[in-house]
Amino acid sequence: MSDPTRSSFVYVTYIRTTPEKLWRALIEPEFTRQFWAGTAQECDWKAGAPWRIMIPDGRVGDSGEVLEIEPNRRLVLSWRNEFKPELRAEGHSRLTYLLEPQGDMVKLTVTHEIERPRSKLIEAVSGGWPLILASLKSLLETGQSLEATRRWPEGV
Amino acid sequence: MGSAAGKASFVYVTYIRATPEKVWNALTDPEATQLYWGHRNVSDWAVGASWQHQRCDGSNVADIVGSVVESVPPRRLVITWASPGEAADPAKVSRVLFEIEPHKEDSVRLTVTHDELEPGSGMERGITRGWPLVLSALKSWLETGKAVPL
Repeated sequence: MSDPTRSSFVYVTYIRTTPEKLWRALIEPEFTRQFWAGTAQECDWKAGAPWRIMIPDGRVGDSGEVLEIEPNRRLVLSWRNEFKPELRAEGHSRLTYLLEPQGDMVKLTVTHEIERPRSKLIEAVSGGWPLILASLKSLLETGQSLEATRRWPEGV
Repeated sequence: MGSAAGKASFVYVTYIRATPEKVWNALTDPEATQLYWGHRNVSDWAVGASWQHQRCDGSNVADIVGSVVESVPPRRLVITWASPGEAADPAKVSRVLFEIEPHKEDSVRLTVTHDELEPGSGMERGITRGWPLVLSALKSWLETGKAVPL
């Protein structure tokens, strides 16, 4: 029985790559711009460092801080949406990336959760994560991200 | 398609750079499924037909059996799902819906909804681990031509 006081989205994908390449793709703007709608993250990537995702037009998409970081293995961020007032009002969620090598694949588990029930933020990211992560997988395995994820959507 | 009271469901969405026809074929052609799923999905896929998830080791033993509930190629396929030893017990028969929808210029969205599961069962645990692995392998196979050893 799931916990009724929190909202959580968990997504597992397997990508034929190395933990090092996957880690770089999750962190570095030259990669995220290709599979994460043109965005780039600003962060020093140390525990306690502030973190934010920048939308191409200069708005801040989301912000928070690095909670835990083990390069190539695990990254935990606090994450508050910044550009949609209703989502921003929910406050900070917690995002965990876990990278586990399995043969010539890496198992990537993304857990995005918040301590409130029926969260609109988690509902929103539940729609986004499968597309972003599918595009990341295509980028790492074929050299090309999915077309729809290469730019920030119009009107958003 | 809601789950009955007291039942569990698992939903997995992915996006694949392929046509709906290629994704449908990948799910229903035993020559394809044996490459990325390690099993042959055997059926004529007509409504009411049986389907079997057969091992590729020459034994033809089915690890999963069921029947076809809906079949609208290349968009929608609904099958029942059970271990052979449990297929006669309605409580142990679950259901899988595959929805294949074109997405933007170059992709499809594949949504797999596995419901009517017994909460806390070995089957629920198994498919929760299995679907991400199988569907990742399917995507890799369609996009790179390489089969991922499961």
